[in-house]
Amino acid sequence: MQNTSSTEQIEQDVLAAMSRPSRCYLACIFLAGLVFLGGMALWSRQIALGMGVAGISHPVGWGVYITDFVFWVGIAHSGTLISAVLYIFRARFRTSFNRAAEAMTIFALMVAGLFPLIHLGRVWLAYFLFPYPNQRQLWVNFRSPLVWDVFAVSTYMLVSLVFFFVGLVPDLAIVARRRPGFIGKIYRLASLGWVGNSQQWRHYTKLYFFLAAFATPLVASVHSIVSWDFAVSIVPGWHTTIFAPYFVAGAILSGTAMVITLVIPMRRLLRLETYIPISHIESIAKILLLTSLIVGFAYVVEQGLAFYSGNLYEMEQFRFRALGDYRLLFWIMVSCNAILPLTLFVGRLRRNLAYLFILSLLVNVGMWLERFVIVVTSLARDFDPYAWGNYTPSFTEIGITAGSFGLFFLLFLLFIKILPVLSITELKER
Amino acid sequence: MDRRQFLQMLGLVSGAAALSSCGSEKGQKELVSLLVPAEDGIVPGTESWQPSTCCECPAHCGLLTRIRENRPVKLEGNPQHPVNRGGLCLRGQASLWRLYHPQRLQTPLKRQADGRLQAITWAQALTEITEALQLSRQQGRKNTWLAGRTSGTLSTLIEEFCDSLDIERLAEFEPFSHAALRQSYGLLLDQADLPRYRVEQADLLITVGADLLETFISPVDYTAQASTLAADQKRHWMHLEPHYSLTGANADDRLVLTPGSEGTLLLWLLQSLTSQSRYRSRWPQALQDLLPSTNLAATANATGLKPQQLQELVSRLMQAKKPLLIVGGIATGHRNGQPVALLGALLQWLIALPWAGLDFSAAENYSRVGSLRDLKDLNQQLAEDRIGVLFVSRCNPVRHSPTELGLKAALAKATLRVGLADLADDTTDQMDLILPLAHGLETWGDTEPRRGVIGLLQPLATPRQQALSEGDLLLKLLKQATGKSPAADWEAYLQQTWQKRFSRAQLGQLMKDGYLIEPQPQPSIRLNQARAAKALRNLQLQAPLAQPTAVIAPSIRSFDGRSRSLELLSEIPDPLTTISYGSWMAVSQQTADRLRLRDGNELQIKTADWQSSQPVRIQPGLATEILTLPMDSLPAPVTGIDPLTGEALRYVEGLQLKPTGKLHRLPILAGSPSQHGRGLIPKPVQRKKKGDQQHHGPRASFYPEPEYENYRWTMAIDLQRCVGCSACVASCYIENNVPVVGASDHLAGREMSWLRIEPFYDEHGQVDFLPMLCQHCSYAPCEAVCPVYAAYHNPEGLNVQVYNRCVGTRYCSNNCPYKVRRFNWWQHKRTAPLDQLRNPDVPVRSKGMMEKCTFCLQRIRIAKDRAKDDKRLVQDGEVTTACAQSCPTGAIVFGNLLDKESQIYRLTHSQRAYRVLAELGTEPSVHYLRPE
Amino acid sequence: MARQLFFDDQQTFLQQLEQLLSDGIPSGQLDVRTPYHLSEIDTLLGQPPSKLPLFALGGALAGFGGGFLLAALTSLDWPVITGGKPIVAVPAFLLIGYLMTILIGSLASFAGFLLLARLPQVDALLEEQDFDSRFIITIADEVAPCTTPN
Repeated sequence: MQNTSSTEQIEQDVLAAMSRPSRCYLACIFLAGLVFLGGMALWSRQIALGMGVAGISHPVGWGVYITDFVFWVGIAHSGTLISAVLYIFRARFRTSFNRAAEAMTIFALMVAGLFPLIHLGRVWLAYFLFPYPNQRQLWVNFRSPLVWDVFAVSTYMLVSLVFFFVGLVPDLAIVARRRPGFIGKIYRLASLGWVGNSQQWRHYTKLYFFLAAFATPLVASVHSIVSWDFAVSIVPGWHTTIFAPYFVAGAILSGTAMVITLVIPMRRLLRLETYIPISHIESIAKILLLTSLIVGFAYVVEQGLAFYSGNLYEMEQFRFRALGDYRLLFWIMVSCNAILPLTLFVGRLRRNLAYLFILSLLVNVGMWLERFVIVVTSLARDFDPYAWGNYTPSFTEIGITAGSFGLFFLLFLLFIKILPVLSITELKER
Repeated sequence: MDRRQFLQMLGLVSGAAALSSCGSEKGQKELVSLLVPAEDGIVPGTESWQPSTCCECPAHCGLLTRIRENRPVKLEGNPQHPVNRGGLCLRGQASLWRLYHPQRLQTPLKRQADGRLQAITWAQALTEITEALQLSRQQGRKNTWLAGRTSGTLSTLIEEFCDSLDIERLAEFEPFSHAALRQSYGLLLDQADLPRYRVEQADLLITVGADLLETFISPVDYTAQASTLAADQKRHWMHLEPHYSLTGANADDRLVLTPGSEGTLLLWLLQSLTSQSRYRSRWPQALQDLLPSTNLAATANATGLKPQQLQELVSRLMQAKKPLLIVGGIATGHRNGQPVALLGALLQWLIALPWAGLDFSAAENYSRVGSLRDLKDLNQQLAEDRIGVLFVSRCNPVRHSPTELGLKAALAKATLRVGLADLADDTTDQMDLILPLAHGLETWGDTEPRRGVIGLLQPLATPRQQALSEGDLLLKLLKQATGKSPAADWEAYLQQTWQKRFSRAQLGQLMKDGYLIEPQPQPSIRLNQARAAKALRNLQLQAPLAQPTAVIAPSIRSFDGRSRSLELLSEIPDPLTTISYGSWMAVSQQTADRLRLRDGNELQIKTADWQSSQPVRIQPGLATEILTLPMDSLPAPVTGIDPLTGEALRYVEGLQLKPTGKLHRLPILAGSPSQHGRGLIPKPVQRKKKGDQQHHGPRASFYPEPEYENYRWTMAIDLQRCVGCSACVASCYIENNVPVVGASDHLAGREMSWLRIEPFYDEHGQVDFLPMLCQHCSYAPCEAVCPVYAAYHNPEGLNVQVYNRCVGTRYCSNNCPYKVRRFNWWQHKRTAPLDQLRNPDVPVRSKGMMEKCTFCLQRIRIAKDRAKDDKRLVQDGEVTTACAQSCPTGAIVFGNLLDKESQIYRLTHSQRAYRVLAELGTEPSVHYLRPE
Repeated sequence: MARQLFFDDQQTFLQQLEQLLSDGIPSGQLDVRTPYHLSEIDTLLGQPPSKLPLFALGGALAGFGGGFLLAALTSLDWPVITGGKPIVAVPAFLLIGYLMTILIGSLASFAGFLLLARLPQVDALLEEQDFDSRFIITIADEVAPCTTPN
C-alpha cells in the first residue's frame, strides 16, 4: 500500500544507519573490542595455568561461567520469540524489532556457546563432546544433559542462522542495489541473486513460515533443556520439575529486557522513531510484564514446594538462599525480576522510554543474579554438611564475563553498520 | 635379506631412534635400564615387599615396604608384627615423604662466620670434629653426646664410641619422656621402664590424660586395643581430661575435669576403693593411714565433676573384673604431675596388677631416656663453659625446652656443636656442623622399642647424596679419632653383634619377617611399701590450675612436632577441628560467644610472663574455661619444667583473654560441624527392629537390575571402630599419588583427598567420625551426567573414572551427593625428589580432569592377575584397599559381596549396616556399620 | 524483444496484471517481479502450491529417525552402563530425535527452497539484474524462449 516516494523513504531511512561510522561509534567498537580481547587473554591464561585461576572450587564446581552460559542462552530466546512466534501469530509490532532481535539471538548464542568451552577443564578436548566416528569406537553419552545441551544449542544456533539469513535475503538485494561498486557486489552475492519474481516469493513465504514453525518449539525446548542441566541432577535446589517453564519464562523475561536495552538507544541514535513507534515498544513491555509475573510466581512456588515437601535438604537449601550468605543477591534478584516490573501495570510507565530502559537494565542484572543464585547456592549447600562451602568469583571469571559483553556489543555494533537493522521488505509490505 | 630380517632391522633402528630422542640423557638411562633386565634381579613392573621398621616415632612399628623399580613406594603395617599388627598411623605412612623430602640434608654442612651454611666433605667434617674433640680434652672441657631415644645395636655402638673417645653420653632426650610415670614406677615398683598396658584384656578402661590414640608410647598398638574395647558393648572406657583430645572423643564417656585436679580425683578413687572389701585386703594398712583424707563433695568441687559421675566411676571400678587405669600424657604435665603419677601407679598396682593389666615383661624400653631436668643440667654445664664438643642427634631440644631455660644462648658456649639430622630444625639452626643422617629405609639397623621385640632395618633405597647412617658415621669418626674401628662399616658391625646375640634360626627369622621376639621373663612386681609410705607422706596436692587455662596439646599429625615438616601431614586435617595448615587455638562456644569471636578471629592470651596470639577455632564440647593450643602452634610448646619429675609443663593458667580484632583465614575443611539432623551417622542409636531394613521400601524400577558375574567389590566401615585417626587418609594419598596442594588451595576449598574423615558433633559436643570416600553407587548420579562416558559403571560394580576421556565439565562432582570427587585445578607437580614417590600402577592426573577413589583398582588388578595365573577367583582377604590395610583398628573391610562366605558379606548383612543417604536411591557399595 | 511494464503502485500493477491475463497472454510468458510478496499474484497466475512442505516433512522425519537412531546405535555399539540406566534410554534419546527433527527439518526446508526457487540465481548475478523496488511485469515474445517456465 505504499507509493514510490514512501518506499524510497523507507529504504533511505533504514539504510542511513549504514552510513559512514561516526567517531563515537568507532570509539565504542574499539572499547568493546578491547574488553573482548581482555577476556580472551584471561581465558588463554586459564587454559595455560588451569581452572584454578577461576574462583570455582569444591563443592561449587560451576559458577560464573555456567551463570553466563544460561544468561546468554536466555537472552537469545526473545529473539526467536519475537521473530518466529510473533510471526506465526501475525503480531504487527514484530516488524519493529525482528531483525535486531534475530541478530541479538545469534550474537547471544555465539557468546553463550563460548562458555561451555570456557568452563571445560580440558577445552582442547572439547571435540569429545560431539558424536564423531573414531577408531576408539567411543561415542558420547546421550543420557547426559550436557550432550542434550550440545545438540540443543547447536540446533538453535543453526536454525537461528538460517532464519536470520533467509529474512535478510531480499534486504541484502536492496542494499546491493543502493550500494555502488565492489561492496555492492558482495551484498549482491550474499543475496543469492534475489530478484523478487513470483516463483521466488512463493517459495520464500512458504520457507519463512516453515522456519518460523520449526523455530517456535525451540523457544520452549532450548531453555527447557538448559534447565534440565540442573533439573535432571540430584542437587537440592536444582532437582525440581518446575525448572523448564520457570527457565523459559526467565529466558523470555531477560531476552525482552535485552531487546529493550538495545532497541531504545538504537531507535534514538539511528533515528528510527517512525518505524519503531512507542506503541510497539509498549507491546514488548507487556511481554516483559507477563513473563515477570510468571517468574515471580515460580519464585513463590519454589520456596513453597521446598517447605511443603518437608524434605530436610530442600528446606535447608531454600532457607540458605533467602537468609544465608548469598541473601543479598537473592533479594536483589527478587526485587529486579518480580517486584520492579510490576510497575509496568501503569500505562504511563510502559510508554516512558527512559524508565523502560533503566528497568530493562535492572531486569538484566536481576536475571543474571537469578542464574548465579540457582547455580551457586544449590551447590554450596547440598547433602553432606562437611562438604558445604561458598564461592566467590575471581578476577578471571569477572574479566571473562566482561569480555563476553564486549564480544556481544562488538558484534551488535558491527551488525548495525553492516546489515539493515529493520526488515525493509516487511516495512514496505506494511 | 628377507622380509623378516628387514622388519627386524627396521624395528631396531626405529626403536633406537625413538629411544635416543626421548628426553634428557638421564631419562634415557632410566628408560634403557627399565628395558634391560638388571643384574640385581629387579624386573621392571613387578613389585616386591620387604620388611622394615618405622622410625617416625619411638614406637617403631613393623613395616612391609613395597618396592617398585628399586624404590620404596608404599609402607604398610606388618600384619604379624607384635607392636602394630598390620596398622600404620598417618605419620608412619608419611615417613616415606621424609625419605623423598626435597629439603633432606644431603651433605655435611659447616656454619660460616656470617651464619650461613656451606657444604663440606665428610673428610673435612670428620677432621674438624676430631680436632675439636682433642682440643676440648686439652682444655679440660667435657665432650658430650645427646641423642633422641635409641635402642638396639646402635645404642651399643654409641656406648662403645663414647667410651673410646671419652665422651659423656647424656640421658636421651624425648619431649614425651613419660618421666613422671617412670619415676613413680621406679619408686614404687622398682621398674625403670614403662609397662605395656594390656588394654585388650581389660573390661573397664579409665584413662586420665593419657592420649592413647595420639602420642602415648605406642599409638598404633593402643589405638587398636582401645578401639576394640570401645566397640565391645560389655566393656567400657572412660577418659578424663580437661581439654578435648581425639582420645577423649573416642572414649565411651569423656569426663571433663578441672586442669590440675587429676591428683585429687585419683586420691579419692584410691580412698574409695581401699575402703571397699575387694581391695581392702590388698592395701596395706600402713599406707591407708597415710592417705590424706578427702571426701566426695570436696573432690567434686575440686575436679569440677558431678558427684554422680564420681560415684559412677567408683561403682564401675568395683564392678569391673579387669579394671585398668592409665595415667599419663597431659595429666602429668602440670605442677601436680608427681602426685598424679604416684597415685596413678598405686591405683594400678591395686586394681590392674592382680590381673596382670600392666605387662612389665614387654616393657617399653625407656630406661635411657632422661627428662627435662637432664637438659637443665646440660644447660648449666654449658653456661659454666664446661662443654667442649656437643653432639645432638635425632632430637630437637631447642624447641622442646622452655624459653626461660635459654638453651639456645647456652649452646653457643660449647666449642663445637655437631648436629645429626635428616631435616633442618630449631636445633640444627644452632649447630656449627650439621651431618646428614640417612633415613631408616636407607640403612641397615635394628630397633628394640619394647624389650624382646627386635625390629629390622634394611637398606631399601639408595641413600640420598652423602647422607650416612648414624652407625657408619660413628665408626668413621672412631676410625678418624683413634685410628682403629671395631668394624669396617655399620653393616659389618651389626653382623658381628647379631651373630653374637642371635642364633642362626633367629637371624633368619629376623631377615625374613623383619622382626624377632625374644620372650622375656615376667618380672615379679612388688610394691615397695617403704618408699610408697614415704611418697604418700610427702604427697603435696596443690590446688588445681587457675582458669581460664590453656592446654598445650600434642597432635596426632606431628607427634611432638618432629613430623611437622612433612607436608603430607599438614595436608591431612586435624581430625577434630578439620584445620589443615597453619596454627590455631581451640576455644569453647561459650568463650567465643562471650568475646564475640568467630572462627579465624585472633585472640591474644597472656599471663605476666607468657603470651600468644592465635586465630581461634570454636570447638564444640570444649569446657568453657579451657583453651586448647596444639603444640605445633607454638614456637616452644613447653612452659616450664616440673622440678619434681623433670616433666615438661604444658599448661598456662590464669590467662587474660583479649581479642586483637585481626582476622585470619583458617583452612577449615568442614563446611559444618553438625550433620543437621540428616542421619549421616544415625543417632540416637537404637537396635534395628525386624523389618526396619525396608524402611525406604524396596527399590522400584522399570529396568532390570544390573547383574554381576564374579565380583561385586564392596566396602564396609565400622563406625564403632573408626577413631578418626586419619591413617587411612595418609595411606590413600601415598598409594594413589594424590596431589598435595598446599595451604592456598585448601583455603580455596580445593583439597584433593580421595578419602576424608568427617567429624560430626552432636548438641552435647560428642563427636562421631564418618570416613567419606567414593561410595561406588550402583545407580551413580555422577555417571549418567558425564557427556563423554569418562565416569561409568564397570562389570564388577566399581564406579570408574577414565582420566584420559575426562574433559572436565565437573558435572559429576556437582551431582555427587557425597561430594567425593576431586578436580585437578592445576597441573600438580612435586618438587624433586618427591616426584619419585609415585605408585607406578596409578596414573598421574593432569590439570583439568576429575579424579576420585577407585577402590584401589590397581590392587584388585594385581590380585586378579595372580588369581588368573592360578586359574581361580580372587579369595576373600586376598585384596584390600590401601585405607583398609592401614587402619589400626580394622574398621575398614573390603571384599567381594558375591562371595557369601566372605567377611564383607557378613558385615553388610549385619543388623548395624546402613548406607549414607540411602534415601536418594544411589545404592552405594560402601556400607557403614552404625555405632551402637 | 521482451516488453517491460513498471509500476510504483501495487493497485495499478495488479489491475494491469489482471488485464494482461484476461487479454489471453499465457502466464508462462509473464515474469512478474514485486518488492514484497503478494499472494494475489499466485492466484492470478494460477501457480500450483509450493512443494516446500514435502522437503520440510522429509527433513523432519529423517531428522527424528536419524537422531534417535544415532543415539541408540552408538550406545549399542559399545554398551556402557552409566548410573544404572538402560543402554537405550528412550526418553533421553527421544530428546535427541526431537532436536534433530527441528535441525534437519529446517535445513532441508532451506535446501528445498534453494532448489525450488533456483537460488543462487546465477544469471541474475551475471547480468547484474537488480531487485527493484518497483512492480515489474515482463512479457516475453512468443518466439523468445521463456525465461522461467514453471
